Amino acid sequence: MTVKDTRTEAVQEVDANRRRLLFGASALPVAAGIGLSASPRKAQAALKTNARIVIAGSGLGGLAAANRLARELDGAKITIVDRKEIHNYQPGYTLVATGVWPVEKVSDRNADLIPSGVEWVKEMVAEFDPEANAIVTDAGHRIEYDYLIVATGLHMDFNLIEGMDVAAIGTNGLGCVYPSPEAAQATWSAMDSFRQKGGKALMTLPSTALKCAGAPLKMTFMLVDRLKQAGTRDTSDVQFHSALGNIFSVPRINQEVLERWAKLDIPVHFNSKLVAVDIGARRATFASPEGERSELEYDFLHVVPPMRAPDSVKNSPLAWQEGGFAAGGWLEVDKDTLRHKRFPNVFGIGDINGTPKGKTAATVKKSTPMVVQNLIDVIAGREPSQVFDGYTSCPLLVREGAALLIEFDYENRLTPSLPAIDPLQDSYFAWVMKYRLLKPAYMAVAKGRV
Amino acid sequence: MYEIWLTLNILFELGLLYLPQVIITAALWILLTIMAVKRGNAGWAKALKPALVVFVVVTAITFFITPGMTKSSFANMGYWVDWGNLFLYAAAFGGVGAALTWPIAAMMRPAR
Repeated sequence: MTVKDTRTEAVQEVDANRRRLLFGASALPVAAGIGLSASPRKAQAALKTNARIVIAGSGLGGLAAANRLARELDGAKITIVDRKEIHNYQPGYTLVATGVWPVEKVSDRNADLIPSGVEWVKEMVAEFDPEANAIVTDAGHRIEYDYLIVATGLHMDFNLIEGMDVAAIGTNGLGCVYPSPEAAQATWSAMDSFRQKGGKALMTLPSTALKCAGAPLKMTFMLVDRLKQAGTRDTSDVQFHSALGNIFSVPRINQEVLERWAKLDIPVHFNSKLVAVDIGARRATFASPEGERSELEYDFLHVVPPMRAPDSVKNSPLAWQEGGFAAGGWLEVDKDTLRHKRFPNVFGIGDINGTPKGKTAATVKKSTPMVVQNLIDVIAGREPSQVFDGYTSCPLLVREGAALLIEFDYENRLTPSLPAIDPLQDSYFAWVMKYRLLKPAYMAVAKGRV
Repeated sequence: MYEIWLTLNILFELGLLYLPQVIITAALWILLTIMAVKRGNAGWAKALKPALVVFVVVTAITFFITPGMTKSSFANMGYWVDWGNLFLYAAAFGGVGAALTWPIAAMMRPAR
């Protein structure tokens, strides 16, 4: 069987009935329907091109880029390379892991989000060969491209925590919100059991860059709230161990959260890195920068794994070769244009980027239209026209029913989308955004509309 | 402009999430309106007052029950942005109630 045959086989047939239903439904919400009939952007004809564009990854960034490129280019051959069939709404994991949402709310079919006309190769990228403008999949297929968008997401290094077993999440008081919907659900199971009796909880933060760096903070706030609801807060000890000298990279937010935690009686141990866990014995080991180790017993432990680029990127010429991002193997992109610094036909979206900020869905929402426009500029023979400011957002849950709507940029400036929003104010509106409105917004991003 | 576009898209996606309810409500409103128009002599102007009353009642009810239905409470209302959004949300449901009431009331109150 040839590569072409295999790839052709792998092309997904669009679920035509469902698409017709969705199309028909566009007339129903009248206000939205009227508005959606015209894009807010200047009307422009699709650019004619026969460029071969490969998108590595079908997370939010990959899907949003594919939908936009399919609409804005005429004649391009667009290929998505990713095996996953289920698209998980990762911003919902904290709601699942704290008992707010049922787990069913965070999973959708990827096939429903991939545009027609885009080839979907259900394999994973195993190797990037940017000198030859090609990728190689884990099935051994070589796919050549003219332009590449890297949107692979990141890798969670659980094996850097000795004794850690992802399969054990949910047992013996072990929680971790990050790996999957099932892990988030199991984390809620462990948290729910813990709050019935109370005890000692250890919340952790590694030293690496993280996706949704607010999640460890949300888990801590929500754990305390759940203990209060159960009447066991007074008999519980909740500690936060950060491997860094802070808990959040934006100084104003770092200060705000620390002040709130002081009032909530949550002591913070800085430069205290989780390095080992004995799950059966419920003992966690922390290390200082000097290598001094201390072992603590716990009743509930929230593990946050160190994170880095996947091996396919980390071990490729696409990774940063030196500087602070090299250790994690992050994609070497210019932080303003998100174009690769050494391979000008390569762009990056989302968690994989080696940029000072931005491993959230909000970053993808803001940056993907810019990356797509910059790519179109390059295809058209122009220099990239769009400059990304590092926008990131975090609806920081502070208790059930209230959140802070924090938005910031590369320069750590707080940048609320609307002037009326106070990012440091406990807010029902911010809660409703997280609870009910952000997933619809996310789906619109994935479909390439916002 | 972008925020308006984003809001429209959120409404659209919410509409897809609750598609059966949206279809039923829209179909019911169209049916009632056609019935009122066909009947002739419908008192559209006279029907405005009961529609307004329904708007106020539904808005008030929605305003009070929504925080609880979204796993929150009035204790979490931090500042005017929260109150304003809650009111707009409630008013949207009030508007739907009024829209359904208007043709019914118009049929019940002939113009002459």
